[in-house]
Amino acid sequence: MKNSLSFALALMLISATAQADTIEMKVYGLVCGFCAQGIEKTLRKNPATADVVVSLEDKLVAIETRAGHDISDADLTRALTESGYDVKAIAHTQRSMAEIRASLKSGNH
Amino acid sequence: MNLFKCMCACALAAGTGAYAKPIAFAHGTTVMAEYGAGTMNEAQVFYAPKYYLSFGGGMLSLDSDVDGRRRDITYLRANYLLKRWNMEAAQANVFVWGGAGQAWVSESDSHAFAWNTGAQLDYETRRVYASLKTDLHESPAFSHRIDTLQLGIAPYKHDFNTLATWFVVQGRHYTGGIHDGAEWALLLRLFKRGAWVEAGSTTDGKLQAMAMFNF
Repeated sequence: MKNSLSFALALMLISATAQADTIEMKVYGLVCGFCAQGIEKTLRKNPATADVVVSLEDKLVAIETRAGHDISDADLTRALTESGYDVKAIAHTQRSMAEIRASLKSGNH
Repeated sequence: MNLFKCMCACALAAGTGAYAKPIAFAHGTTVMAEYGAGTMNEAQVFYAPKYYLSFGGGMLSLDSDVDGRRRDITYLRANYLLKRWNMEAAQANVFVWGGAGQAWVSESDSHAFAWNTGAQLDYETRRVYASLKTDLHESPAFSHRIDTLQLGIAPYKHDFNTLATWFVVQGRHYTGGIHDGAEWALLLRLFKRGAWVEAGSTTDGKLQAMAMFNF
């Protein structure tokens, strides 16, 4: 019984550490669809990327990484800088991309 | 001229448009075709290996409405983003470019070496757009500078996946006997993601139109 409980706890821990991560960046210079198109294209090339959301209204670029993968803040900043934009803040959050999209759609950020 | 028509057809068939900047984004290709009131037709294709640099070529036809002289210019060109200002809700850029090619000159029915230099300053928010572009085409047989001012206003703020609508006033001035005085036009510009189309009329009722596609 004790072994089973330990095994279940270990599985939960592994599952938690393998969960997808959401990274939200505040980006300056986002004023047109072409800006967003270039950023999305660049970020989706990264094999660790699962999903990307860009909002011009919120100056937001959000990226979800694949489970078990990570993209460092330095790599993300470099990707955005090499796309021609300025990253002002990066935050790792627990919001899912669905929640972010819903929040953007409702205007309740 | 046939190549120009072909490029226009390809651009329209592709279903994507072009932006009025010579560099759209890193690793992006820009295809652009413009019909300028019967005075100028231009088509361009550029590829950008970096966000600040693109290479490509174009074709420009100039038809003088003063004395009927004509130039068909083909060129290879490099575009460079000299400076960009990224602000919280705005962006401003300074682009420069240079290139060389060949021009057919109607007066002598001959070809000549030609070169091209230019610059563009622009500022935009999601509601206001302004740009000033100067484009110089020269050869031993001619010198034509095309200066274009655009002021745009958007009735609403677009976002990534929504249609952007702009009303644009354009003023253009040619040197070298292509057109007398300034040519003014009112344009409706629409774009969504990588597709851009604009069309309108000059004050003397001539069509001014452009399509641009980024992919």
